[in-house]
Amino acid sequence: MYRGREGQWAFVLHRLSGVALALFLLLHVIDISLVMFGPEGPFNAFLAFYHQWPFRVGLVLVMAAVVYHAFNGLRIILMDFTEWGVKYQGALWYGALGATTAVGIPVLWKIVPEILGIA
Amino acid sequence: MASAPKTYQAARATYGASGELVWWVFMRISGLLLVFLVFGHLFFNNIQIDAGTIDFAYVANRLSQPGVKIYDTFLLAFAMLHGINGLRYSIEDHVRKPGRRFWTKVVVFSLAGIVFVLGTMTLWAFSYDEMGAAVRALD
Repeated sequence: MYRGREGQWAFVLHRLSGVALALFLLLHVIDISLVMFGPEGPFNAFLAFYHQWPFRVGLVLVMAAVVYHAFNGLRIILMDFTEWGVKYQGALWYGALGATTAVGIPVLWKIVPEILGIA
Repeated sequence: MASAPKTYQAARATYGASGELVWWVFMRISGLLLVFLVFGHLFFNNIQIDAGTIDFAYVANRLSQPGVKIYDTFLLAFAMLHGINGLRYSIEDHVRKPGRRFWTKVVVFSLAGIVFVLGTMTLWAFSYDEMGAAVRALD
């Protein structure tokens, strides 16, 4: 397997997170659309199903994908529209990873106790 | 595509006046907007509250607010266009056989069309004021 440097990993993660988010978006719009069936419809039962811990962990992974994709997307915009973006793309990628971690830690601090039921 | 163009000038040179240049620019503009729209969406529904408590009453209450409907309409439109165009890039890169590529796109675009209509209906076709009142009447 070819092991590239930062740029390749940035691309692979951007592609994987992007495809995952697009598929999640389709699923998410479909599940929220169940609200159209009204208060006596299947919405509450469906949501209770999704509140089980494996799905909540999945939701945390979706959020991680969002945050990485957002910060790496900003890196791509800087690479495309500034004179210096491409030159510093490696450093910018570490910046994107750092920003993802910086946002991720307080989010996990808030949500993990909810999932464990000790909030 | 072998490798994506890295600058706006390179994108112009590669795509010329074709629709691909428009999509290339759209992905960057919508991407920047989505950073704010999606972060806001996650903040409202996962940070301000415990997402594990979301139920019909919560969603109906949100969807009865005009501001939320408009916010979510922009979110839906930009996220769908950005996401489905991204899926199209991925299909064109990874699904190599022409026939299979064509049918993969047919399935993805059809599904996306249905989901977009479903999402727009969810936002605009019903009065959740009345539905929310019905829920409160149950309590």
